[in-house]
Amino acid sequence: MTMLDVFEVECFEEVGRDFYKQITETVLSDHNLTAVISKLRIFIDPRLPIFVAVGTIRDAGGAIRISDIGSIQVQGSDTVISIRDETYLAQFLTRLYELFGHDHVDQPDRFTIIISEIPIPAGFEEIEIVNRADTVLRDLIYAMTVIAPEGFKVRRESYGKRQFFYAASENTLPEHVVEDLISAQFALIGEEMA
Amino acid sequence: MILVPITYTGGVYRHDEVIDYIEDLGGYIVQKHEMAQEIVLQAFIPKDDIGRFTEFAKPLAGEVTESPLVGCEIAVVIPSLEIHHLPHSACDIAEYLRTVGAKTNMVGLARGFGKRISQLNDEERDVINEHDLAIYVLGNFETCIEQKFNGLRRGVNVPIILTGAPPLEALKRISDPPAAGYVGNLGRFMHRTRTEADIGRLDAVVEETARVLKEIRDEIAHDPLSVSPARLKEVIENGIPEIHNVYSPTPVTVQLTGLRIKLPFDRYHDTIRSLPVEEDVTIGDTAWISPSRMRDYILVQIKPFSETHIVV
Repeated sequence: MTMLDVFEVECFEEVGRDFYKQITETVLSDHNLTAVISKLRIFIDPRLPIFVAVGTIRDAGGAIRISDIGSIQVQGSDTVISIRDETYLAQFLTRLYELFGHDHVDQPDRFTIIISEIPIPAGFEEIEIVNRADTVLRDLIYAMTVIAPEGFKVRRESYGKRQFFYAASENTLPEHVVEDLISAQFALIGEEMA
Repeated sequence: MILVPITYTGGVYRHDEVIDYIEDLGGYIVQKHEMAQEIVLQAFIPKDDIGRFTEFAKPLAGEVTESPLVGCEIAVVIPSLEIHHLPHSACDIAEYLRTVGAKTNMVGLARGFGKRISQLNDEERDVINEHDLAIYVLGNFETCIEQKFNGLRRGVNVPIILTGAPPLEALKRISDPPAAGYVGNLGRFMHRTRTEADIGRLDAVVEETARVLKEIRDEIAHDPLSVSPARLKEVIENGIPEIHNVYSPTPVTVQLTGLRIKLPFDRYHDTIRSLPVEEDVTIGDTAWISPSRMRDYILVQIKPFSETHIVV
């Protein structure tokens, strides 16, 4: 977790705090999110009970383009795409079906896609398939759901362009209590709640 | 004759002789695992014959170890088995206890999560009570364990081992009335137990379980059972051939004071009740036979000597 500029877990129970610090580290690294988060602060009070996580993200990394997924070879009227990275294959295929139609797109094996009898447009390699920035905040909120204690079903979550927060409890807490807690946590990491 | 639980690990070659030898000594096989070329037998043998049996196993390259957890059925109780929170530490606990001979069942509560909202329903309570021992795998906060533990143990009358992240002393302090055993430093953590420190935590659970089981066994010894559960298992296996068609890993699960038979209650309870253990003594004379809350299984609870005045 050395990549985070700020990483704090606050709880009046020391043992629980250390366990949650470890859980957070494990979950963020399992979800490949350590490089994305810049600041993260978690506040837990089991007496209330409440779990609050606030933070900011770094630039989530650029878009994934067709050239990142595979290499393209034009063979006569056909275009053969050899897949290097399968991660975004489902989205890539969906985009190909949109562009060329099901009749012209074939996947004979796992790592090969053939676009037949239709010319590919200019700048095809540069077409954006996925923008990680669109999904990273959603992934982050999911990771917070995983970190939060079991049974904290009443949730409030929000993410903007750079900031996110996640608050959860098993009770329906008054709005002003939650808002005050969240903005106080943002203040502690040197941020102002947007 | 005092029977002690052991585990025999050896090759498949001539293992039938080992089984015969255990039976000749007056012991009983509780479970037999065959894994490729290896065989693991969990058995009860007379205490005085352990040395003799070890000598017998030596030329066959077999290893004999005392396993106090053999012959008991343990419930590993966890407030929830939520998918978001996988992997659960309780999974590793249940699996680790199996490696040392216990038969464990995971009991994931339907509404056990949370502090104020956690509860235990009657089916869960009855299922837990059908075991010899319950291990409660609770979370990381002392405040939460203190508040919810009493709710989750309501109506549970088997000994409970309480585990959680707070240290042992804290767990002892917050449980009122006290539990039968405690293991600290073992709450919710989101990784599989691979490191030495993690394995050490699981060893602590095994140690505490063995200690509590010894206490239970000592208590049973004050008023011994009318018949040994392992012996009843053999009677059932010989008397009901259909049990050999059950594909469960343990068609007849041995408990400290009874058995769980994985056959439908309605069709088999009369046959089981009338099976003879010895001349003039049937299973019905020595045990209560009731439907289990677990599926449609049969639960056999052996009566103590004070109740039957019979020991067979």
